[in-house]
Amino acid sequence: MSGLLGEPAAARAPSSTWRSLTRRPELVTLLLIVALSLTIGLINDRFFSVQNGVDLLRSSIRTGIFALGVLTVLAAGGIDVSFTAIGVFALYVTTKLTMSVWPDAPFALMALASLAIGLGLGLVNGLIVYRFRVPSLIVTIGTQYVYRGALLAFVGTAYITDLPRAMDAFGRATLLQTTTADGIRVSLPAAFLVLVAVALLTWYVLRRTLLGRAVYAVGGSLPIAERLGFNVGRVLLFVFGYAGLLAGLGGLVHGAMNRQANPFDLVGSELDIIAAVVLGGARVTGGTGSVPGTLLGVVLVVIINNSLILMGVPSTWQKVVIGAIILVASGIFARRSATA
Amino acid sequence: MKRSVLVIGAVSLVTSGLVGGAVFAQAKKYDMVTVVKITGINWFNRMEQGVKKFATDTKMNATQTGPAQADAAQQAAIIEDLIARRPAAIAVVPFSPETLEPVLKKAMDRGIVVVTHEASNQKNTMWDVEAFDNTAFGARLMDRLSKCMGGSGKYAVFVGSLTSKTHNEWADGGINRQKAAYKGMQMVATKQETYDDADKAYERAKEILRAYPDIKGFQGSASTDVAGIGRAIEEAGLAGKTCVYGTSLPSIAGKYLDTGAVDGIGFWDPADAGYVMNKVAQMVLDGKKITNGMNLGIKGYNKVSVKGKVITGQAFVDVDKSNYKQYPF
Repeated sequence: MSGLLGEPAAARAPSSTWRSLTRRPELVTLLLIVALSLTIGLINDRFFSVQNGVDLLRSSIRTGIFALGVLTVLAAGGIDVSFTAIGVFALYVTTKLTMSVWPDAPFALMALASLAIGLGLGLVNGLIVYRFRVPSLIVTIGTQYVYRGALLAFVGTAYITDLPRAMDAFGRATLLQTTTADGIRVSLPAAFLVLVAVALLTWYVLRRTLLGRAVYAVGGSLPIAERLGFNVGRVLLFVFGYAGLLAGLGGLVHGAMNRQANPFDLVGSELDIIAAVVLGGARVTGGTGSVPGTLLGVVLVVIINNSLILMGVPSTWQKVVIGAIILVASGIFARRSATA
Repeated sequence: MKRSVLVIGAVSLVTSGLVGGAVFAQAKKYDMVTVVKITGINWFNRMEQGVKKFATDTKMNATQTGPAQADAAQQAAIIEDLIARRPAAIAVVPFSPETLEPVLKKAMDRGIVVVTHEASNQKNTMWDVEAFDNTAFGARLMDRLSKCMGGSGKYAVFVGSLTSKTHNEWADGGINRQKAAYKGMQMVATKQETYDDADKAYERAKEILRAYPDIKGFQGSASTDVAGIGRAIEEAGLAGKTCVYGTSLPSIAGKYLDTGAVDGIGFWDPADAGYVMNKVAQMVLDGKKITNGMNLGIKGYNKVSVKGKVITGQAFVDVDKSNYKQYPF
């Protein structure tokens, strides 16, 4: 186990490369990304193109926003599988409400509504976990069903393809645009900025505030954290609330980019996102994990999920290949943990 | 189309469900109830129009009901309740044919006429009505795709999942037609799975565009496929250079038909299917025979083919930018 307050200073005698890798799990993820990219690039050189790079960044947006929330929960020693249900709940309720009340509402207002819904549902998770001392996996499996079920039963089952104007505009807004030699337009959406902002915020909270220290402390060892005087209840409320908050935002961004609010969406993709966080160096047992690592983990998972056609893997084999890559990667991480 | 039907449509109006009041059938005025997978979505609202039209045309007491949620157990419970009311006929669009076997058997044992739709493997039914032959439907989509592509170029095929029977029948129907009739075209990669998710279809389409920048066509199967493909095509600025066809509904694909990112979609009209189910039930009640090549009086069902218990029409609906607004579902 590394120190209670997260990983110890990397500078402490990195006697060998392996040792420095064990201290900086992000480096392992980075090496995996490089190895995988080289392999795919050898099979199909189109992998190293602007188009592919931009597409991968675009695909990282949604996974990244969700993953940073999951990271916060994992760091505190919990786990959350309800965040996709929270995301789709926030997306659908916000869209439906906006369409019926004020279709011309500014996007900022919609974002606020989504954030509020996400925060509320996340706090419910935190409250149950803390109050009843139930393992967070069980709690969030339960709330995933409840949130999704309530959405379908009480709010609606219909697809909304006619989106509020501001949401549609946000989904189409681009930061950069270029055209490839094949005449294919490539663009990086403005939503990418949301990921950047969320990453900076999460990094700041986890690394630069007392609350962040408390999160890693609780994740490292709950009894010790309590003895040290950390308010465990507040930490749990914070991490689940924060994960909910980001889930709400992620849901709305997903809907805007996907140009529809589909109440059956998202739920089912949580394992991909948790895998990204774990491949980014966070341990399911808590107390570890960093924002840069998580972002690299997201990139890794996105590359795995979006390169199978480039590699020419037949559809029936795609899941086998995804699973195998994740197993290999996690095997490397297990080795690291054992020696650390 | 079984699964995609779940995700179409409008607000789920939680209606009281069962239509109240037992009506005593007078001579030849039958009590007929159509039970759909889920109420309140556009697809089955449209079906209800067909059932109502049948009621008006024939003066039968034909109504439609169904669970507020797409749930096999709830649908079975509704049929169970119906049996107690002893209608003359029950027409069902099963959510899960297997789950309904016992309750439909019970209905038939009580002398109630049972007709199903989208359940060609249902055992306990008198007749199952299918809008069209799935292979022929897939081939028809390919014909339209090929015409748009000028009979040459690369194309890709998407399915909701490799285990979805109907999706793969459509996809294979198209692929086989291409191999037989359009030798200038070639399929790239294998059938891609999209999990009935527009975003997955989008990601797959983007990847196809990266791997095969000279791709000219796409054929989709899940109703969400063309929406995802359309988004990728629109983003890439290729609306005028590629052809996209697939099974979908105007409510899902409409805006992409408008921009030209999707060129055409195909489906069947649930209103006609609802009408024909009731018509078949009435014929059974009247003791009339249903035979191969028969005309059931609705467009697309003018010359049905009968194999075992399955009645199959040619009720294809081909839709593009010019006419999709005629089908508001």
